[in-house]
Amino acid sequence: MPDHIKSVCEQRVFEEVFNTHSKTIRNFIYYKCGDSAQAEDLTQDAFVKLWNNCAKVPFEKAKSYLYTLANNAFLNEVAHKKVILKHQKSVTTMVSHENPEFVYREKEFKGELDRAIANLTPKQREVFLLNRIENKKYKEIAEMLAISVKAVEKRMHGALVSLRSEIKEFKK
Amino acid sequence: MEHQNNDTYLAKWLAGEMSENELQNFKNSDTYADYKFLVDVVDNLETPDYNQQKSYSATLDKITKQQDKPVTKVRALIPNWAYAAAASVVLFFGYTFFFQETTYNSELAEQISFELPDGSEVLLNAGSEIAFNKFNWDNNRSLDLTGEAYFKVQKGSKFTVTTKEGSVTVLGTQFTVNSRNNFYNVKCFEGKVKVTSDKLNHILTSGKAISIQNHIATPYTIIESSPSWTAQESSFNNVAISQVVTELERQYNITISGKENLQAAYFSGRFSHNNLQLALITIFDTMEIPYTFDANSNVRIQKY
Repeated sequence: MPDHIKSVCEQRVFEEVFNTHSKTIRNFIYYKCGDSAQAEDLTQDAFVKLWNNCAKVPFEKAKSYLYTLANNAFLNEVAHKKVILKHQKSVTTMVSHENPEFVYREKEFKGELDRAIANLTPKQREVFLLNRIENKKYKEIAEMLAISVKAVEKRMHGALVSLRSEIKEFKK
Repeated sequence: MEHQNNDTYLAKWLAGEMSENELQNFKNSDTYADYKFLVDVVDNLETPDYNQQKSYSATLDKITKQQDKPVTKVRALIPNWAYAAAASVVLFFGYTFFFQETTYNSELAEQISFELPDGSEVLLNAGSEIAFNKFNWDNNRSLDLTGEAYFKVQKGSKFTVTTKEGSVTVLGTQFTVNSRNNFYNVKCFEGKVKVTSDKLNHILTSGKAISIQNHIATPYTIIESSPSWTAQESSFNNVAISQVVTELERQYNITISGKENLQAAYFSGRFSHNNLQLALITIFDTMEIPYTFDANSNVRIQKY
């Protein structure tokens, strides 16, 4: 923006910010609370607040402002549900041998994985899923959550260790 | 090889930040296959569907709906003087709207019907006019009538019909008022009607009628349950023949010539609104009045 400072007060800019960040923020909250309707609601509330304070929030700060709001809003909410993720595509595509036993094991595995993810600590879960599903780099996550990159790495590591230990399949 | 002293090596591995040597060691460890499989599965997971557009419009809705006034520049769009101007306009039109009289006019050979603000029905006979004020109608049901009209009055406050000859106040329900030059006729079909004219005060009950011609009141009884003119007929009970002829002119929108030839007489009977020839026969033939009626519908009363 050479001679024009982008202002979130312009609806065009506001919509651009929304389109860029709303999905990730919604998922970010979803990873915390496991309720997609509630996550969407809190996301929208965060954007309403951004609009109301558009004059005070510079365009460049909008993203971190939104994450802070979403995070705070979540802290005020009590309801927590189990985070359930969908299989994007069959695991079978990664394994060449497809047989009934494998399909059965895959289903069983998915159930165990859901449970294992739910049993992660909230801090591990949000970091782990932001990285694996939202493809956020550790540095970005660190900025979002206002923690150090080292802390992010620890949570990532801890999440993987915890997942592995929770799944019986690996204990054989 | 185990990495027990390192609490971030898995994170490094995922980020592709392991050194060649470390990676090789990790791949040789017995946990590598598990982690690899786990991450492959997790990387293919998806969050619940998200409709960004829907969520955006929901957000805009929330913004518009919020009650506490947000920071915005929308505020000053309408300056205060505009409200004053708008109020004056409303007052001006409101005044004209509320206090202006509403008038209904029926043309010759035309009957119109309409409802008053309280739902009372009015059927206006040919060549008549009614004026009333819509404002505060429920508390002040009064209207001015010139000509003839049939009223079906809804229950409520006093209902008054004012004419040049006098006024009619409704105590009950259905009645007709006919007020033409020097002729005043009120028929009560249902309920009770009070007729006031000059010094006369008369209460008509259902089935009673009163006719006042040249200040002489003649009460009589009617048998029909609604005025005959509402059924395409005009009926008369001892009415001056000149009145009957003007009614005929009104109903057919014609001019009858030679009216000066008419001699004083009273007519009782009815004529149809649909057949002029038949109507002429009913009036003039029965009264033995000579007349001509040509192909162009010109009617002329002859000397007799």
